[in-house]
Amino acid sequence: MAAAGPLRPFLARAVPLLLLGAVAAFPLVFTKPFPRHLMIMIFLYGALATAWNILAGYCGQISLGHAVFFGIGAYTSTLLIREAALSPWLGMLAGAAIAVVGSQLIGYPVFRLRGHYFAIATIAVGEIIQALVINWDWAGGARGLFVPIKRPDSFVNFQFHESKAVYYFIALGLLLLALGVTRWIEGSRRGYFFRAIREDQEAAASLGVHVAREKHWAIAVSAALTALGGTFYAQYVFFIDPESVFPLSLSILICLVAVLGGVGTLWGPLVGAAVLVPLSEGTRVWLGGGGKALDLLIYGALIVLIAVFQPGGLVGLAGRFRRT
Amino acid sequence: MIRLIAALFVLPVALATTLAAPLPASAQSQEIVIGLAYPMSGPNAQAGIDDKPVFEIAAEIANGTLDLPFPFYQRLKGMPGLKGAKVRLIISDHQTKPELGQAEAERLITQEKVHALVCCWASSVTATASQVAERYGIPFVNAESSSPGLTARGFKWLFRTSPHDEHFTQVMFDFFRDFQKRRGVKIRTLGLTYEDTLFGSDSARVQRELARKYGYEVVVDLAYRQRTTSLQAEVQRLKAANPDVWMPTSYQQDAMLFVRTTRDLDYNPRMIMAQDSGHISSDFVKEVGREAEGTMTRSPFADDLLDKRPIAKAVNDLYAKRAGKNIYDLPARAFTGIMTLLDAINRAGTTDPEAIRKALVATNIPGDQLIMTWDHIRFDATGQNIGVRAIIQQLQGGKYYTVYPFEIATRDVIYPIPAWKDRK
Repeated sequence: MAAAGPLRPFLARAVPLLLLGAVAAFPLVFTKPFPRHLMIMIFLYGALATAWNILAGYCGQISLGHAVFFGIGAYTSTLLIREAALSPWLGMLAGAAIAVVGSQLIGYPVFRLRGHYFAIATIAVGEIIQALVINWDWAGGARGLFVPIKRPDSFVNFQFHESKAVYYFIALGLLLLALGVTRWIEGSRRGYFFRAIREDQEAAASLGVHVAREKHWAIAVSAALTALGGTFYAQYVFFIDPESVFPLSLSILICLVAVLGGVGTLWGPLVGAAVLVPLSEGTRVWLGGGGKALDLLIYGALIVLIAVFQPGGLVGLAGRFRRT
Repeated sequence: MIRLIAALFVLPVALATTLAAPLPASAQSQEIVIGLAYPMSGPNAQAGIDDKPVFEIAAEIANGTLDLPFPFYQRLKGMPGLKGAKVRLIISDHQTKPELGQAEAERLITQEKVHALVCCWASSVTATASQVAERYGIPFVNAESSSPGLTARGFKWLFRTSPHDEHFTQVMFDFFRDFQKRRGVKIRTLGLTYEDTLFGSDSARVQRELARKYGYEVVVDLAYRQRTTSLQAEVQRLKAANPDVWMPTSYQQDAMLFVRTTRDLDYNPRMIMAQDSGHISSDFVKEVGREAEGTMTRSPFADDLLDKRPIAKAVNDLYAKRAGKNIYDLPARAFTGIMTLLDAINRAGTTDPEAIRKALVATNIPGDQLIMTWDHIRFDATGQNIGVRAIIQQLQGGKYYTVYPFEIATRDVIYPIPAWKDRK
């Protein structure tokens, strides 16, 4: 179809720039909090799904326990603010570090399992950690923790009450970081190891890939990026409890976003978030007040439709576009 | 690929554009817009659905289309303070997710331009949504969240008409004190069993604190896994320690299993003081109500007094017609919350947030005008209603009756509970 010969490379370069420009200009055009919130959620879930994709999409280890790392990020920074008055930015790094350590401890036993058993084990780990935090009184137990509100807004405190624009750019930064790391892994030697493990673990091992070590690398990177998202969430919402940052439903949502967009591709998870988040928010705002759960019904039906007609994920649509 | 992403970017932008526009407001010059963010879908949707009728009843009373012949409600008829301004409700859904509660509060305040919020049922959602109201300076009335910490944050704009968990447990210990005096019995030891999530662990924490404060000894302190398949070990422990009062905190399924296990193991507690929920659910009463004879529970709402208290009866008649069932604790509390707000707006005589806030601070609604069995509604400096009072009910012949406070009781307390071998 359109865009013949010489125009195509130009477009390929110009469109991402234009897109980035549009994303950067978005908060200037939309000053109301709700549209900004919508975009922030797309960035956040996009970043989480992209992080998940490193372990699940590239390395083939389907985790349904990623909420653990999200929760570690949220709890670490919040506890450090409350107990040591540490800036959440440092807490964010500490959260990522603890998530990496935690991921290695979790990885040691669960990586011995494969396929469905691995997925089931990660669910179990997630449930165990959630139960532990619920019963951990020092960390607020089941009641959760408030992030102490500090006025006025400051970058050091990671609190912006006057405008969501700063959150918008921080979330965008997280997303770009996750995409950047994925892009780098994709082209690196390690990325090829990951994909080899995904395709056939025995074959990869026989070719000299250190399977266990590579899996640990994958989960470490994935966990660290997920924990950053957790800290962001805590500083955005100012209240965390085990029910909101450690639930199985979050782990599944992260997986759903990535799978719907396209597993094992760079852009898939972001595409999934860009479709799923507005869909869920839109149906909720328009139809949610009626109490008939019509919003969730439509939301669910659309997911089923995508799964049936585009099982490879929404990024697969690109191929269709090109062929026509 | 890139074109696809560009195309997909259009979706959120288009949505953001449309969602940014407020819904068309009516031409009415004076309008009172109240935002209600409730769980209308998701795991707690029933709560929102059950509450919806009471909000509509409240709005109709304020709009003068519904008559409730009691002085407090007559005064609000047609909102005379605002010269007949109409009340418009905007009900929205937060699916019991804290981040959605926050987003909804922001949307309702900045786009729907609500004058006040009644929100949010679940404590975790109230926690985030109230921060938004505080930031924008919009009156926020909470009618149902029971986490004590919500009013301990020094907020100016948050008002809670509902009792919180400490009130709920306090009534048990008030009862122990008064009951010992009245009957001349001695209560010294307590046995706590509780399920291990938020509800149970929190309940036990407060019970432990109050036991220490009032000098009771906790001889059994046992958490169990929610929805377990066997409670034999727990009941054995209770039987061995034999506390004066057994205080279970359970959801329905576990509460029923406890009754069966105590029968199987012939454990005969003299007094059972349960923490609402499982022990008062309609299925519990239906299935094991007879076996659980003598079980007491704290209860937030005296449904056996519905017919004896004219206001409660009048509201229940309206409610039952719309909801197809009798009003119960949560809708009753929701009704009390929104009426408190409407009263404040009426007295403020304007929709100016600061004026409404001042009127809320000055709230003083006498107990005989409430459907709850409370003393009154008056807020302390933290925004907590200090007139709240919980009650104790006891299962007698398969039905719950109010037994405490003694002055509103419909039955006397059965004590001790008859042993299994003495029952027919």
